Amino acid sequence: MATEGKGLSRRRLLAGAGGGAAAGAAVGFLGGRAVSPAEASASDGLDLSKAYDFYTGDHQVGIATPPQRHLVFMSLDVVEGTTAEELKVLFARWSAAMATMMKGNPVGSVEPTRSNGVPQDTGEAYDLSPASLTITLGLGPGLFDDRFGLAGRGPKLLAEIPRLPSDELDPELCGGDLALQACADDPQVAYHAIRDLIRIGRGLVTTRWTVLGFGRASAGKGQKTPRNLMGLKDGTRNIKSEEELDEFVWVADADEPAWMRGGSYLVTRKINMDIEVWDGTTIDTQHVTIGRDKAEGAPLGGTKEFDTPDFEAVRDGKPVIDPTSHVALAASENNGGAKILRRGYNFTDGLNSLGQLDAGLFFIAFMKDPATFVELQRKLGRVDLLNEYIAHVGSAIFAVPRAPKSGHFLAQELFG
Amino acid sequence: MSRKAISVAALTALALTGLAACGSETDDSAVPTKKGASQVAVKLVSGSDGDVCELDTDTAAAGPVTFTVTNESAAGVTEVELMDGQKILGEKENLAPGLPGASFTLTLGGGDYEIYCPGASEERVPFEVTGEAAAEPTGDAAELLASGAEDYTTYVRTQIDAMVVGVQELQKAVDSGDVAAAQKAYADARPFYEKIESDVEGFVMQGFDPTDNKGNLDYLIDMRASNLDEAVGWSGFHAVERDLFEAKKITDQTKKYAADLVTNVTKLAEVGKTLEFKPEDLANGAAALLEEVQSGKITGEEEAYSHIDLVDFANNVEGAQQAYAALRPGLEKIDAELVKTIDDRFTAVTDDLAGYQDPKALGGYRAYTAELKASDGKKLSATVQSLQDVLGRLAEKAATA
Repeated sequence: MATEGKGLSRRRLLAGAGGGAAAGAAVGFLGGRAVSPAEASASDGLDLSKAYDFYTGDHQVGIATPPQRHLVFMSLDVVEGTTAEELKVLFARWSAAMATMMKGNPVGSVEPTRSNGVPQDTGEAYDLSPASLTITLGLGPGLFDDRFGLAGRGPKLLAEIPRLPSDELDPELCGGDLALQACADDPQVAYHAIRDLIRIGRGLVTTRWTVLGFGRASAGKGQKTPRNLMGLKDGTRNIKSEEELDEFVWVADADEPAWMRGGSYLVTRKINMDIEVWDGTTIDTQHVTIGRDKAEGAPLGGTKEFDTPDFEAVRDGKPVIDPTSHVALAASENNGGAKILRRGYNFTDGLNSLGQLDAGLFFIAFMKDPATFVELQRKLGRVDLLNEYIAHVGSAIFAVPRAPKSGHFLAQELFG
Repeated sequence: MSRKAISVAALTALALTGLAACGSETDDSAVPTKKGASQVAVKLVSGSDGDVCELDTDTAAAGPVTFTVTNESAAGVTEVELMDGQKILGEKENLAPGLPGASFTLTLGGGDYEIYCPGASEERVPFEVTGEAAAEPTGDAAELLASGAEDYTTYVRTQIDAMVVGVQELQKAVDSGDVAAAQKAYADARPFYEKIESDVEGFVMQGFDPTDNKGNLDYLIDMRASNLDEAVGWSGFHAVERDLFEAKKITDQTKKYAADLVTNVTKLAEVGKTLEFKPEDLANGAAALLEEVQSGKITGEEEAYSHIDLVDFANNVEGAQQAYAALRPGLEKIDAELVKTIDDRFTAVTDDLAGYQDPKALGGYRAYTAELKASDGKKLSATVQSLQDVLGRLAEKAATA
């Protein structure tokens, strides 16, 4: 995709990169507030015996949960002719299965006692630990069209993401009536969860698109900032405090349906990286494109990862951080204070038809108002220097209901 | 805690039953009745040691008994069955916390039963029915299933006879040298085999090692390019198909293929006619036919030269429908909801198939080309898989009814 025009702009970048060698910068695909270095350098160890409780009665897990190492994300369509009553039973069965699997238990028998029985659980996670599995359900805009008798009952801010600048969307990688996000520190545990939920839903839902993610690409509370496939720290200024979650992530609006209060909106973008092109760029170009240095992740002009970027700093008559760098465009101080919670993962789909590495970032973000993402991306899509190395090929939005209490299921009030 | 609750309720019930038995005509006043049926509440709750299957009473009088199952908080239990020994008499599936209670009613004779709650910390809870009155024998699921299996045996034999005639006609057409007529005869002969293939597969001729495909009737009749065994070579339906649709020529070798096909199908018919079917065989056979659709037809692998995969598809489905129809009256006694689900999913598949009918096309269905597979394969696969999944679960019920 390196057109001549893009080649030119790369040269412009190089020319403008003068002061870029200053220390430190990290990428966040989008902005957030810094936390203390001590918090971020906390232990990054794994405890596979850790299990989360599904029945929080408040926020669903898999949002504020510190990101686990692996992701399986599945977008699904509801089969034409499915009734609201059938969806209700499906949500109840799914909720029960999610709770069971998150404890590390199989969903039904792996070894039926009757010889003619078909195993209910598929078995590949049978001997494995819970591995911090979280499963999160999202409802797409299509669920509330006229097909299933749920029209008019949807969350008020749930609407398809409009076409945005630089979009190169493939319809087969977009949308979905429902989404399941499974995250775990053992990839097989996450895969098993999605596989068995699809199986429970067979006849009512069909698969639409999926992404397998690895090497979390957004830091959560208490985690070292991980790196995306550009080799850049991602999520340095991510939302990490309870106060910010309340302010920017959890839906609290009394006008929203009861089952959405305590929930959130989920936006996903499948972002392909031109890996080979990026790998051939100079370190100056990489610094300027992002606005941070690579090893430390410090903002240009600063020295440490968590230094606050100084977007006003000028050297030799030029801004130290390019105003069209990714960090400058995405920073909350340049967006009226707006923030979203990023929880993305790296992904690879193997090789593309040209034999190049087919990989990138599966961007996942949670927010109380999807307009925040739309506005940010409208700006990034227009002028972000990073656009030269990436392409947004997939896009979807889902409403994430509040988690049920024990004895209940997800979005139960939706079915009256 | 919940266990205690059961025992107290049970003791009370037994005590009252005992009293009634001593002194009066009216009995079982401890167990509430509604429209003449004793009412038993089964509650599924999450306890400290796992999920618990809790009964408000563990006894009822002989006669109609309604079990109402409510999953209050047991995420790990999704079904409840009433068992008489190894037999399932009735059940409820799709139970999950938050859903309203679901009930099933059975007419029970005196004796010891069990409530089976797979996934609970104690899966089997004893349930006693007092009194001598035997259950009404009419409509016994096991009898209905057995009689269905007999009907199905007749169906299979009819198809086997027709299959022999079909390949004989194919041989005649091949021998005549008329490629177009032979192509039509090929498409006409396939359906009979496709309807019953899951019942007649796996036969090895006497005197052959089971690992030698030369003695494997399945291979000799229905092998294809994808499973070609070089040691045996081409044989059967698809060898004829390849000549008729790829080379579009009839050679002496084609005639030999057709003649061998008649020989092998005749051998298969001899074995096939001695087959007897048990209800679970029908269930397994129906699921296996759908598996054939999924693995051989939707992939376009089966009829790689003639592209009449949708003809095979339709006949696999028809064969599965016949097997299911034979089981249906018995299954309805055990789980009417499941029967409705299967009915609906069969309808979804046959509706899909109807869209491809073309009276002018060979075999009556559009050719399953690479383009059609690319545009429609995903949808067909999803519809078939949702039917196959539920059919796969039937054998257990049929075998234990």
